[in-house]
Amino acid sequence: MICVLEGNGVKVFGKAVHALSRIGETLWLDPGVKGLALRSVNAAHSAYGCFLFSPLFFHTFSLAPASGRRGEAPQCELLTKSLLPLFRCLTSIERNVERCRISIGDRSDQVEIQFFCRHGITKTHSLRFQESEALQAVFASHLCPNVLKAPARLLSDMVLHFPVSQEEITLSTTHLKVGLRNYSEGGNDRRKMMCTQMFLHPDEFDSLQIGVDSDITFCLKELRGFLSFAESHFLQVSIRFGAAGKPVCFSVEDMVLEATVVLATLIDSDSWDSSQLNVADAPPTARCADAAELPVDLHNADSSNAADMTEWVASSQGSPTMHPPSLMQLLPQIYEPDTLHAPDKACDRASATPASTTICSLLFRALSSELDDGGCTSRLPVLACYSDMEEDMEDLSKIPSP
Amino acid sequence: MGRILLRGGPNKLPPPDKTKERKHRMKFRAKIIDFACLSHFSRVITTISKLTKTCVLRLTPDNLFFVLCGKVANGGVSMWCELSQANFFDEYQMEGVSSEDNEICLEVTPDNLSRALKTVQNAKSVKVKLTKKHCPCLTIAAELPTLSSISRVVTHDVPVDVIPRRLWHEFKEPSMPDFDVSIYLPPLKTMKNVVDRMKNLSNFLVIEANLNGEMNLKIETDLVSVSTHFKDLGNPPWGDDASQLGRPSQSRDPEDMAEARVDIRKLQQFLMGQQVNPSKAMCNIIHQTVIHLILLHEDMSLQYFIPAVA
Repeated sequence: MICVLEGNGVKVFGKAVHALSRIGETLWLDPGVKGLALRSVNAAHSAYGCFLFSPLFFHTFSLAPASGRRGEAPQCELLTKSLLPLFRCLTSIERNVERCRISIGDRSDQVEIQFFCRHGITKTHSLRFQESEALQAVFASHLCPNVLKAPARLLSDMVLHFPVSQEEITLSTTHLKVGLRNYSEGGNDRRKMMCTQMFLHPDEFDSLQIGVDSDITFCLKELRGFLSFAESHFLQVSIRFGAAGKPVCFSVEDMVLEATVVLATLIDSDSWDSSQLNVADAPPTARCADAAELPVDLHNADSSNAADMTEWVASSQGSPTMHPPSLMQLLPQIYEPDTLHAPDKACDRASATPASTTICSLLFRALSSELDDGGCTSRLPVLACYSDMEEDMEDLSKIPSP
Repeated sequence: MGRILLRGGPNKLPPPDKTKERKHRMKFRAKIIDFACLSHFSRVITTISKLTKTCVLRLTPDNLFFVLCGKVANGGVSMWCELSQANFFDEYQMEGVSSEDNEICLEVTPDNLSRALKTVQNAKSVKVKLTKKHCPCLTIAAELPTLSSISRVVTHDVPVDVIPRRLWHEFKEPSMPDFDVSIYLPPLKTMKNVVDRMKNLSNFLVIEANLNGEMNLKIETDLVSVSTHFKDLGNPPWGDDASQLGRPSQSRDPEDMAEARVDIRKLQQFLMGQQVNPSKAMCNIIHQTVIHLILLHEDMSLQYFIPAVA
């Protein structure tokens, strides 16, 4: 893949890199027919960000494989700390860089990023990448009962009141008002912590659709970069969420790009609406950053499926998707919101590390929503599963597919 | 048993603990509506927050005091900051612990207050109230302007500890010490620059000054000694006060330097916290005992004591 960014586009791209650097330590460059997607997932798999730049965003955009490469352009896994320094100083990029050329595939294991600057200077950076499938969070956003839309500025103004060190905040919504407050875990520290709270009137939002009153708690740190990006482009942010425990999705879009951040939310068994979830096994609190114990294996689908997947990028609006058959088997096992009586096998086994169950399932539990809503949504693929599940693969193969 | 009491018979029960009752009735509500007042108040709190992690806030009907008493834990420095409430608050009501002791004493973390105030600088109004949430709190409730007709309210609950009356004696206003020399300080920024550089070379600094308006800042190590000289600083005319202290200024040789060796970090911390130039800045030195820094602003006064080390 070769693409060229001109002028202001370089700065926008750089800002996206900044925003994603707040999320994870690795970043994927994922080229496809829909454009170039930048993705990142945090270590705990509780936050996912994706910036999709459509081909129109670029001066030129070509997916053509470079000589010597077979098949499509690869998905490149890069270290954020290798990519971020190239775009660190946005003001100097704005002043000096006229064009930026990104090419994948000239050399088999390197991405080449060239900055064509003023005075005829060209800076060429070659970054080694690892070819691996990008982790993608799937989020059936069209199934979310609650949708808020507000200018990014409003949200930035709100989070300004929380100190930079604030890890998590709670968003509570009812028809009458929307509240934000900081979240702190229980314990002795709680007595000494400052509590900040604010309420917004529905009129302040561009649109407010509350299907179910809810209190969701999510990590603020990972969201800040995204909000800063949205604010600098004067975009409207859509927030889609449901009850506590289900992920929350923040998205912005304009003509040439789409950005999404999906964050896991805490399952609070103390909250009054927890009866909606069958996660009584999960502990009441689990820090978003807490899932170090959770190993995640990337399920390597075979190459034919890889081709399908590159066509489909996240921030899906329910677009039909292809799926590798073996993964699909996992879904009924994990996601059965109706079986309140029996904890899932997954939950059972993972109860030894309850935090990990909560964390990993929070994000990918996004798929759990209303399985009865047509066959399509129940087949959304999970591209990452935790190794605990692998033992079950044999059992699952005996289960008839839904 | 209650009936016996009402009849006024011999009262065998101990009298009810009046202090305990009254404590629950402690009230404090104040409101700032002026932008400049809010900005100044925030600035004062920020200055205090740079000087100490926790301190005592004394509230009286007319004043607010931020007090740090010199304990070993904070290296013996003590601080007394006085604000007149009328300079900041448009509304101010308080009910102290009792009618004889119409005062409220709280232990606060000024950094929390500073952070809470910093984000609401554009508020239409800011209320500060003593509340009881999960623990006693100073609640800062700001009404922020919005595009719609309805204001947005942001509240910050800052936990505080109530100081019992038996400990109040520790937080009294310091009396003016029996100083040897009193001198006006050079511009704080200049002083800070000098001290910053000296800090790289030594942990201790000697301040010396005389009644001739001369002050020196000196450091000395095995390898190097550095000295910065200030002249024509002027000496505050304590005048009658000086003679009341029993040390008539005439008897002291104006060239005679009084000095104190202090921990340089304490001095640096003091200088770092100052954000605006005060109207008056002075230093009293008690030879080899303590330096007493006094800053007078339009709306507040700040005294800071740094003990001398051997």
